[in-house]
Amino acid sequence: MSADHGHHPRPDPEPALRARALEALLVEKGLVSTDAIDAIVDLYERDLGPQHGAKVVARAWTDPAFRERLLGDGTKAIAELGFGGAEADTLVVVANGPTVHNAVVCTLCSCYPWPLLGLPPTWYKSPPYRARMVAEPRAVLREFGLELAGEVEVRVWDSSAEVRYLVLPMRPAGTDGMSEAALAALVTRDCMIGTAVPVAPGPPA
Amino acid sequence: MDGIHDLGGMHGFGAVVVPGGEAPYHEPWELRVMALHILVELQGLGAGPGGRATREQMDPAHYLQASYYERWLWSAEQRLMRRGTIAPGEVEGAAERLAAGEPEPPRSDPDQAVRAIAWLREVIGLQPVTRARFAPGQRVRVRRMRPAGHTRCPRYARGAVGVVERVQGADTLPDLPAAGQDKPVEPVYAVAFRSDELWGPSQEPAWTVALDLWESYLEEVA
Repeated sequence: MSADHGHHPRPDPEPALRARALEALLVEKGLVSTDAIDAIVDLYERDLGPQHGAKVVARAWTDPAFRERLLGDGTKAIAELGFGGAEADTLVVVANGPTVHNAVVCTLCSCYPWPLLGLPPTWYKSPPYRARMVAEPRAVLREFGLELAGEVEVRVWDSSAEVRYLVLPMRPAGTDGMSEAALAALVTRDCMIGTAVPVAPGPPA
Repeated sequence: MDGIHDLGGMHGFGAVVVPGGEAPYHEPWELRVMALHILVELQGLGAGPGGRATREQMDPAHYLQASYYERWLWSAEQRLMRRGTIAPGEVEGAAERLAAGEPEPPRSDPDQAVRAIAWLREVIGLQPVTRARFAPGQRVRVRRMRPAGHTRCPRYARGAVGVVERVQGADTLPDLPAAGQDKPVEPVYAVAFRSDELWGPSQEPAWTVALDLWESYLEEVA
């Protein structure tokens, strides 16, 4: 923050003002347009989100051939559902099972499959998660309320290259006969990061 | 470079689950910065190391104190200045004018909006592997190194022995090339490490950490 601004030293504006200033500057110069900024914000805020990933998971739960294709080549399989793009160019899907639980982190920055999960939550990008998930995963999962049996192998995927990971959780017991759409509603963002597991709906009260 | 961004395994940052942690951002400007950063790339307005490599050059105290998108703001400004698209002091000048009540200029360019969305929806996967030195199942050791420039080999894995789990594809080595040379395209391997190999004894039952590593980061285990 100690950039030298020559012989006119000015106090650094706070980030909110600084961001507005940079945008105004590039717009004034005719280099970027406000509607392009609006369109990109809209894409990530309204269009992309965990509902896409949940659709992929529910399809894998109900269609064994799709599941096989998804685990074989994630990028191709999600394209069947119309998903993909920047930050999921090479997608690897890792499946949970009775004795294996997968979770995803990016210790070096915050790589995340945006086209399937939308914008990452703040905790995913924060130093505590990035520092601890590789070194004490069960302690971190316990903070999320996830207690795994001792015999379950935890596999942490640190996204250090241009590969993005999605966790395929296990289909919860007691969901036989549920529609694909109803199943998708059980799959939260955290289930696909690996900090939660899907839960079957309880009996009606 | 071995900077503050290389956080894997560090102590002292506290709890993961904290109030406010669920939100993807906290103020509207943060997403506009994200979009601005994308447009800087799309329009070729920046220069020098990419956004990620640039953010690693932040002052460590500033890096930790800044929000995620404040880091993007910082790297966008650096890249724009390196290209000469903006001059040092220009952002501060524009901030002063806005603070004095000057209205923000709008500009419509439907074509730029369409191109940006098309670009973000494009899928550009890894390249096919033509020659791989290591095969799935093979034990490999991560080289000891202390690179001055950008790298995607985290400190916590260096010197550790793991097993190649899959060959992900080929990609350009992100590290600085040797003087006068282009960055090579190399296979990228998912390498699985046992927790005790990385961290020594732990109170937790053993776990596995899988990392994607470029071939140059790895050596054969005798």
